[in-house]
Order: sequence, then structure tokens, then C-alpha cells
Amino acid sequence: MMHDSDMQRLRGGATPRNHDARTIAALTANPGCARRGVMDAAGVDKDAVARRLGFPAPFGQSQFAITRGNAFEAQVKADGCAELLTLLRDRLGLDVPEVAYDDLEVVGGNESREVRHARTRRLVERALGGEGTLFDHPLLRLEIAGQTAYLEPDVIAFQLGGRFHIIEIKSFAVIDGQAEPEQVAAAARQSAVYVLALRRLLEELGADPGRVSHEVFLVCPENFSNRPAATPLDVRPQLAVLERQLARLTRVDQIVGGLPDDLTFDLEDAALPEAVRTVDARYAPECMATCEMAFFCRDEARACGATATLGKAVRDDLGGVDAIGTALALADGSLTPSADLAETAERLRTAARLRREALAAATAAGGPATAESAYAVIPATA
Amino acid sequence: MIDAPTPDALEAHIGDLRAAVRRAIASGDREAARVLRSRLRQAEEAWDRAVLGSPGPPEEAPRGLVPVREQVHQALTLLEVPAAPRLISSVYAAFFPGEIPNARLTSLRRDEERSFRTAPYARPFYLCAALTADLLSPARGLLTVSTWPAARRVVGPLSARTDFLTAAIRLAEHAGRGETGDPGVQRLLWRFAANIPGAAEGSVGTVDPAVLAGAARAELDVHQEADRRERDRAAERALARLDDAGRLFGNRLRAVRRAAGESDTEIER
Repeated sequence: MMHDSDMQRLRGGATPRNHDARTIAALTANPGCARRGVMDAAGVDKDAVARRLGFPAPFGQSQFAITRGNAFEAQVKADGCAELLTLLRDRLGLDVPEVAYDDLEVVGGNESREVRHARTRRLVERALGGEGTLFDHPLLRLEIAGQTAYLEPDVIAFQLGGRFHIIEIKSFAVIDGQAEPEQVAAAARQSAVYVLALRRLLEELGADPGRVSHEVFLVCPENFSNRPAATPLDVRPQLAVLERQLARLTRVDQIVGGLPDDLTFDLEDAALPEAVRTVDARYAPECMATCEMAFFCRDEARACGATATLGKAVRDDLGGVDAIGTALALADGSLTPSADLAETAERLRTAARLRREALAAATAAGGPATAESAYAVIPATA
Repeated sequence: MIDAPTPDALEAHIGDLRAAVRRAIASGDREAARVLRSRLRQAEEAWDRAVLGSPGPPEEAPRGLVPVREQVHQALTLLEVPAAPRLISSVYAAFFPGEIPNARLTSLRRDEERSFRTAPYARPFYLCAALTADLLSPARGLLTVSTWPAARRVVGPLSARTDFLTAAIRLAEHAGRGETGDPGVQRLLWRFAANIPGAAEGSVGTVDPAVLAGAARAELDVHQEADRRERDRAAERALARLDDAGRLFGNRLRAVRRAAGESDTEIER
């Protein structure tokens, strides 16, 4: 376990940032990044740090997307989840008497998280005895590296055949049975966090965590209409990754142990950029979608010509060659590879030769020697 | 009453009134703004008459004649169950002339509560909250009428469904008595029919009120007994434990909120 005082020092005395399902899911997206691991474990406000470093992340969810998502969710949940009930009855054979609906968003006119979590806990306990069907906005809890994160399944855990299922309502369309894979993957990662949190709750209650199904239901608009459709989604792979990541998070102390004793991400500290650079990052273009530090890391990776800026696939193909400059030097033969890089260098040289030939052929044929046509050869061979 | 003779004088007057409306809104005086706005409308009509000639056909029932609370009361009386503002305004739009301005619905319950607490029972009815069966606290986003029996104003876990079905029956019966072909009414009924087993037998989008009512009754039979027991029990508790205002507007966990609020201050999402 990381020491509280270490975490306090890393945060520079600021209050810790709380995790939510999105940030927990994002942890699994880039497991090798020590920078993210340390900052998240210490609860550093990465957004503030990035802004301080001059690389503010201009993203955040689009206001239009949020509004659209809320409107669709309200529609599906209107009148005691009438549309959702129809969907579950038609598609999943929910029994007609199973219509109980409990609203957990407000408890006794009170929206505090402790109260809502306590009530969620009580209702889940009761549900284990067979009472209750739909729970609107329950509030779950998950311990992340010594911190408590409150999680609000966008939606509902319901009981079908004695098992709990997480239902995630998303406003992206499923067209002809197909949705955008990236969005489905993000929804699956997020739902996996909820499944894990609900399983922990059942464990606390002394029940079998296996009663929370690894199958979540994704409710999305169907085709080009506003009609909801439910798709079952198996989140076992995401769960496995998540559990491994969370176990790893608690080993962050090893990484911290290797860092200077006076390291701090204090926003007021003039040495903040150096402090951040002390911890290794593992930038990949995918980071742009999930991490507030991405712009800083990208700039850093570009400045030292890291192959990772070209994407994970390129980085993995060029195993051992970290810089683009080195790769180019190996390709044109101006650098003699060490024994362990001989194979990579051979492939690079082949790729370079093919590119030269393709360009020469194209020029000889009088056609436009476009870069794309030349590059197109490389992935097939390299 | 404004009776300016020339279009020029009228235009100047209209300009003054517009500014006055803006000032009133800026200072938050809604009542004055409403009065000024109606005078502005009259001035504009006078301008129309003076410049464009004879007035057009008289407009339909002038808007805003029926106060919002009356409109909501009418819709709820038709539904006979606790309902969300969205349902209330679509019911009103389908069966009554005019519309309920949505913005006014949000503050309605708070206004009613304030009015009741300053002068209890001064009005023949109050629009109040539905109470949750377990904590007797106000249920999120549901409006009821104070004159209803207590058991109807309490909602348990099954009540969302039974109320949905009861509303479907009430609306189907009401529609069956009058014009059923009206597209607004059909759309409203379809919302119910699409989500009740066996209610949407015909082609998509068309609803036979009798079939809808029958299907809703069939499902209601399944849930009604359990729901009624729960509501009756909760209503008895409400009568025994709460004062008059509490019975109408619900019991709040204020102390807990304050205590929890303190430990909550550092958290933002």
C-alpha cells in the first residue's frame, strides 16, 4: 500500500481527486503508463496539472452529447421505466409481475452520497431475498488504491432469474445490429467497473458475488429511430483486465519507491514540468481520448521522436527501437544494429528498399509518386 | 387602455413598453412584466389596426387565461394518479385547449408548498408531492392533488407501474368517449399502448382505446393487490406520523443532508 504521506506529498497538499467509472475504465486502457498510474493513485488533479504545464486538455464530453444522452435516458426510464420493461419482457423474458421500480437518485429529498449508498446497500440486501426489480441510479462504492470511489451505474441493476444485471443506457445508435466498436468497447469497460463494484457489495453482504452477471445489457437507440433496443454484452475480458489493473494499482508503491523522495506535483511548484517528466509515461495516440495529460505526453514523445507517436502497432513492430530517428538510420544503413536489433533492422531495410523501388517504378511509369502508394507497401512487409 | 391615434405615436409607445418589459424582467418582477407584456400586445394590435386595416379573425382562446395550477389540476383530475410534469403537459396538450408552459411546471410544487405553509388550507386544493412509501419523503418529479385520498398520493415500488396502467385506462376511456382520431390523442395513447402487452394489436401508431383499456386492466390485475396493500400501510403511517404540511409535501431528511453535506464539500464531479 502506498503511504498516505507519500500521496499527500505528491498531490502537493491538494485534496484528492475522486475516481469515477470513466477514470477507472481508463486505467485499463494504458496499463504500462507509470505516470498515469502514480498520478491516479495519488489522486492528483491531472487536468489542473496539464493546464499548469500549458497543455490544457480541450476535451470533456460535448454538451450536445450529454444532452442527447440524458434525453434518451429519460425517455427509456419514463413512467417507471415503461420502455425498458417492454424491452426486457420481449427480449429477455422478464416475468410480468416483475415491475418493481426503486428510485435511488434521491433518498428522502436528500442527494448525499453516503445516504444514497446506504440505501442502495439496503435495497440490494433486500433484493437478494427476491424483492425489487429495477433500481434507478443506485450508488455503488469501490476502493481504488485506498480511496473510496462512488460509482453511479448510469442505470440500473435488476434482477432476472435471481441474478443482478447491469443495464447501461447509451445514446449512440445500433444500426442493423452494429454499433461503433470503440463506443461499445468504452461502454463495456465502464459497465465492467459497475459489475465489479456490485460484486464487491455482494461480498460485503456475505452473498455469492457470482450472482452479479458478467453479462450487461446495453440499451441503445435502434437504427435511425429513437426506439430503444437491448444488446447483451459479455464483459468478462474487461473484468479480467480491470481486476489485474486494480491489483497492480496497489503496487504503485514500488514505482513511487524508485522516485526521488521530494517529488511533488504541487501546482505552485516551479519545478512541476521536471517533476512530471521524472515519472515515465507511455504515450500512445489512444491516450488522447482518455487522459488529461495526453497533450503534454504527446508533445514530450514528439520532441524525442518516440515511435509511439505513430501508434501502438508501429511501436510494437519496432520493438526495442524507441526513436524514429534510430529507425530511419537503421533503415538506410547508416547505423549498424546491435545483435538484438538485427532482425528489426533487416525488416526496416527491406521496407526501405521496397519503398524506394515503388517510388522509382511510379516515377518511371510517369504516374504521380504519392507518398500513400509508397507507404502502402510497408505494412505488408515490415 | 391605450388608444394612440397615429402609427408614429403608437410605435414610440411600443418602444417604451418593450424597454419597460425588459427592465421588469431584469429586476425579476415577473408580475409587472406580465402586465406590461399584455399592454404591449394591445398596443401592437392597435398598431396593426391603424396600419394594416381591419383586424383579422378573432384569435382562439387567448393563452394564459387558465392559471397553470388549474391546467395541471385538470390534467391530474383526468389521470387520477401521481404523474410527472412531462406526462401532465402531454395529457393537457392532447385533451384540453392550449398548452402548459413547461418552465412554470418546475417551480410549481415549491410555490404551492410555500403558499400552504403561509396560509394553510386557504385554497380549495394544492398541487403537492407524491410520498415514497418507505420514507414518506417527496418522490422525485411526481405531482398529485391534495384532495386525493392519502393512499393514492403514496407511491411504493410497484406504484410506478400500476399508475402507468391506471393512467392508460383513464385516458383510453376518456378518449373513447370523444374523438379518437385526433393525432395528438393517438400519439399519447400510443405511448402507453407500445409498452403494455397486448395493447398494440393494430397497425403501428394506431390505438383502439377499448383494446388499450382491456390490456391495461389485464396487467393491472397482476400488480394491483400487492400495490394497494403497500400504499394503504404507508398512508396509515403518514396519517399517524406527519403533520398537515408533511402529509402533503413530504418529510425530508434535512439533518442528514446537512451532516452529510459537510463531509461532502471536497467532492465534485
